[in-house]
Amino acid sequence: MTEALFWYGCNMTRHGEIIRLAARMLEAVGVGAAPVGGPGACCGSPKESTPRIAEGMANRTMEKFGKWASGVRSAEGGAAKGGEHRSRESAAAPKGPPSVITWCPSCHMNLDDFMGRTKEKGFDHRHLSEALWERRAALAPLLTKRVATRFLVDRHMGFHAEVPVNHIIPALLGMIPGAEHVDHGHRGGSYMCFGLANVPGALGAHQRALLAAMHETGADTLVTIFHSCHRELVGLERDHGIRVVNWVHLLAESMGWDYSDDYKQWRNAEDPLAAIGPERLAAAGEAAVRKLVLPELTRPRPV
Amino acid sequence: MVAHADWSALRESETARILAACTRCGRCAEVCPMMPYAEGAAGVSAATLVEGVLEVLSGGEGGAGARGWISVCTRSGVCNAACPEAVNPRLMLRLAKWRANETGVLPKRDASEAMARVKAFARLGFSEREQEEWL
Repeated sequence: MTEALFWYGCNMTRHGEIIRLAARMLEAVGVGAAPVGGPGACCGSPKESTPRIAEGMANRTMEKFGKWASGVRSAEGGAAKGGEHRSRESAAAPKGPPSVITWCPSCHMNLDDFMGRTKEKGFDHRHLSEALWERRAALAPLLTKRVATRFLVDRHMGFHAEVPVNHIIPALLGMIPGAEHVDHGHRGGSYMCFGLANVPGALGAHQRALLAAMHETGADTLVTIFHSCHRELVGLERDHGIRVVNWVHLLAESMGWDYSDDYKQWRNAEDPLAAIGPERLAAAGEAAVRKLVLPELTRPRPV
Repeated sequence: MVAHADWSALRESETARILAACTRCGRCAEVCPMMPYAEGAAGVSAATLVEGVLEVLSGGEGGAGARGWISVCTRSGVCNAACPEAVNPRLMLRLAKWRANETGVLPKRDASEAMARVKAFARLGFSEREQEEWL
């Protein structure tokens, strides 16, 4: 086991099942990674129109990760001496520097461009797709269930230069028995759908291009790479006769793991509050859900 | 040893580097996939758009087209691959946007509810234990 953090970012709280599946997947291929994210581990990106605030948030995250990395190294030092701090993970297999495994491209790029250039890192970082690709020899035997699908991946122009997700994701999914990747040249003019959603007309154009690409290639499933893409594209499932899943969902299906894509169900429900259910609504606070969640779930669909 | 003391120092250093390195050739503007969405940019030469972005980066107002381009930048990074001087136009536009937000040349995105929304979704989708351990 390798000591690692799975830094899922902040907006991934909409997709708890992806966090669970990703952490379980990492563990299954030999990487013990604890999920961390939310406002307490933010890269600052949501607040970057006020850079001072963004920097403060990012610095707190770097301090948190720095303490964690230092703890990992201390535990490994103790383990090397046969000390009492030997952890379950550090007692096993090969050690490298403590590793932060990223999910969100905004977080990943902020770590590259700002956070890691202004604070000592003390850890290395790689994207989840890279971590799984590195361990594909361990992943492949776990993909035992056939998933009969012709899938198109929602790919974007950005981030690929930092992490070649546009190659890695289709390659990982291509390991699934029965799953056939259909290639197409369309790429969203952003690094994930979030950016397009904020530019009038841009998300609709991207969605229309994706639907046309699916029609052209005979794809039945649209695979999202990132959370904001998933958030923006699951709505297509309701009206366009296609299936929309995240790449982690598809891997999990082939591993025989159950999951529930709650966000998709809520987004496509006639009555999202009823779909959420009274128990969860009460636990989350109905007033907050009505104010903060419901407008998002019922927002207009570009196509 | 980190390269910069803080984000302000990093921004200052990168801004100076970009202003010195950019030749205003306009290649970044020509290849930008978001240009059709940039308000005020139609009919403005690529070189003028870049000059405007650099003006905003320096604390000025730039032209309407430059401000429109900055507003619709989605960090596709296509500009970085096209830039013959390795200026990093993606960073140029991002820093210009920050500067424009600070000087009031461009309005700030309202992110006042962003974290409250993140927490609300966590309460809906995470177990109590997950909320304790993951947040």
